[in-house]
Amino acid sequence: MTDELHHGEAGERSEGAHIQLPAPTFWPMVFAFGLTLLFAGLVTHWAVGVVGFVITFRAALGWWHNVIPHEEHEEVPIEPELRPAPILVETRSVVRLRAGEQGHRQRVPEEVHPYSAGLWGGLIGGAVMAALACLYGLFAQHSIWYPVNLLAGVVIPGMGSATLEQLRAFNGLAFIAALVGHICISGLMGIVYAVMLPMFPKYAPFWAGILMPLFWSGLVATTLNVIDPAMNGRINWLWFVICQLAFGLVGGYFIARSTSIKTMQSWTLAERAFVEAPGVRPVREDEEK
Amino acid sequence: MAAIDYPLQRPKAEPGEFSFSETLYKWVATVDHKRLGLMYVASALIFLIVAGIMATVMRVQLMFPNGHVVGPDTFNRLFTMHGTSMVFLVGMPMVAGFANYLVPLMIGARDMAFPRLNSFGFWIFLLGGLLLYYSYLGGGGLSGDGSAPDVGWFAYAPLTERGFSRGHSSDYWALGVLVSGFGSIASAINVIATTFCMRCPGMTLKRMPMFVWVMLIDSWLIVVALPPLSAAQVMLLLDRYLGANFFNTQNGGSAVLWQHYFWIFGHPEVYILIFPAFAILSEVIPIFSRKPLFGRPAMVAAVVAIGFISLGVWAHHMFAVGMTSWSNTFFAASSMLVGIPTGIKIFNWTATMYGGRLRFTTALLFCCGFLFQFLLAGLTGIMLAVAPFDWQLHDSYFVVAHFHFTLVGGLVFGLFAGMYYWFPKAIGKMLDETLGKWHFWLFCIGFNLTFIPLHFAGMLGMPRRIYTYAPGRGWELWNFVATIGVFFQIAGILFFIYNVLRSTLRGQPATDDPWDGWTLEWATSSPPPEYNFEKLPVVRSSRPLWDLKHPQDPDWKWE
Repeated sequence: MTDELHHGEAGERSEGAHIQLPAPTFWPMVFAFGLTLLFAGLVTHWAVGVVGFVITFRAALGWWHNVIPHEEHEEVPIEPELRPAPILVETRSVVRLRAGEQGHRQRVPEEVHPYSAGLWGGLIGGAVMAALACLYGLFAQHSIWYPVNLLAGVVIPGMGSATLEQLRAFNGLAFIAALVGHICISGLMGIVYAVMLPMFPKYAPFWAGILMPLFWSGLVATTLNVIDPAMNGRINWLWFVICQLAFGLVGGYFIARSTSIKTMQSWTLAERAFVEAPGVRPVREDEEK
Repeated sequence: MAAIDYPLQRPKAEPGEFSFSETLYKWVATVDHKRLGLMYVASALIFLIVAGIMATVMRVQLMFPNGHVVGPDTFNRLFTMHGTSMVFLVGMPMVAGFANYLVPLMIGARDMAFPRLNSFGFWIFLLGGLLLYYSYLGGGGLSGDGSAPDVGWFAYAPLTERGFSRGHSSDYWALGVLVSGFGSIASAINVIATTFCMRCPGMTLKRMPMFVWVMLIDSWLIVVALPPLSAAQVMLLLDRYLGANFFNTQNGGSAVLWQHYFWIFGHPEVYILIFPAFAILSEVIPIFSRKPLFGRPAMVAAVVAIGFISLGVWAHHMFAVGMTSWSNTFFAASSMLVGIPTGIKIFNWTATMYGGRLRFTTALLFCCGFLFQFLLAGLTGIMLAVAPFDWQLHDSYFVVAHFHFTLVGGLVFGLFAGMYYWFPKAIGKMLDETLGKWHFWLFCIGFNLTFIPLHFAGMLGMPRRIYTYAPGRGWELWNFVATIGVFFQIAGILFFIYNVLRSTLRGQPATDDPWDGWTLEWATSSPPPEYNFEKLPVVRSSRPLWDLKHPQDPDWKWE
């Protein structure tokens, strides 16, 4: 809504009737033309080059006289009809979000869970997940090594062509590969959870415990055929989803119960750099108290 | 000759009182940054049309297997002139044109720091371009061998040596690009000097518009990156005229040396070309989202980071040369590194739009097109940065599709956004929005129809630069669809040309500030007077017009 006219600084008027500007000159154009002819002489005829040199030299002199001893200027008349329209002042102001005001967050996240909580939550969730997978192996395939060998198939190509008996048997290399892979992925996923949980505005346990594992299962289900076709053909998807849900619920629970720590997101650059100087750091409300 | 101690006074002129010769003189002798900016953009658009026609002929030739539209020699000239024109005669003058027109207006200056050098820069670029095109007539030389250059836009050695390139075609390539390069360097020096020395009172670097920041870094890149190419071109001319043998492999020269020289220029050149689009998006998106640019300091840092990193990635164009594994690793890693600041920019533009009150004008539509297409270009760029992947697809149509997604899907879309945004300021008339939307949708559909299929053609093994192909290789469908897309693009461009002509002649007059802008160019009239501002403005924040429009809630209270 605009209701009054103001002349802003950018619209103020000059006292004089003229403004000094550089005077137009064709010498730069002639200089460019001569220079081009000079180069064109290489591919046409030497005479073209000579003409180019003469033109370049003359234009250089002309340009020189244009700026030495004084740059040539001209007074351009100010044209009142070209004056910009006055800048319209808008009375409507912008409500600026403040951190924490009415549940809004100016910057996200204001608080995060410690990475260590994410790491431990991920490892504990991963342990529960592994235990469930082994239970599945024990009951359905009569061997706890079956899911271990299947998981190792992602990084050990030979496991793809293994027989059912081989998958049920203990394989040291596969065990180490599966163990290292599972620990790494679980830990990393835990850290991702710790970072992401504070970003969900609400229903964080639902996102972490239910939806994220379902999304992950969907992603794996659609891509596993490319990554590891052998595993894709032998996997029991119901148990897979149950294991993922177990990871999400247990890991998410452990992360969520950790004490959150404030981030420096709302700090100024100087504060983040720990610059100690008067006025650098505004006094915060909690410090005033 | 008497020295002039005081300026000449120009008499007041009534509109329409200039004769044709006076008008011609006004344009030829002008040192006004706005006129020169418009002349740069107009020249670039003409070269764009010429190079676009060349691309169309190539696509028609490849529409079906065993095409007979043009022969192999003509095809070689077409792709060489198309690539050279698009990079040196369209992209570079667009950089100079936009920077020339907008930088002084945005920083509250009356002209560029070196107005005469500015004029020289434009003319030498134009004449260099004309010299390059004169090769169609004079490229044969006295012996009659050769015509226009036919060695690709990167003119790989030893193809350019006398033994393989008879006549003067390669000389014209080297000279034309060298001469027009003088203009680019002149313009870049001017932008740097103007930005550092001519900002209006109160405009600190922190308050400088994002557009000016990006153009400053862009100009710095030009000054750093272009001289290696110029040096290499002089060395090539020495090879060809004086038998210097720098790149002549038959006499101990090195073809790989040319590649290093060329790509030390060539890769920063990609960023030199895409930066204006970054600059335009950083102005257009906030205005049509009604939100300040998200993470402005990070955006400045990102563009500086891209500028630095882009100088250290050139050999990812040379994975197939056979470098050491250490070199491959370094250049793969540095190439991926550049994805980080680029990603920051994409995220920040998106975050600027998120939650904003979006006005889907044609300019914003082109920005949205940019965001999707440039993201895809970045992702295929990361794929090509992986050396083994590059070995598989090097010199295939996958690479062609990748860089067209960067330069057309990115740069051209950004430039169109800028033209729709600043046309009212430059011409004083509004571009028609309905015609603009026709332009956008036809061009966007056509562009994707052309270049998405070329990824698949490349993955199926179609090499670039072939003038035809045999049927039965699985390339037919992709090439056919790609050519159909070209006709959509042509239709879009025709809408644009019609829109520009119609709006210029009898379009709706533009107000001084039609988009409710925040930067200083909107504080002067449309089109601006020769002196830009009657009184130089004083600014207190990065959105000076916002401050003036909202005195109760100015930005300077918060910055």
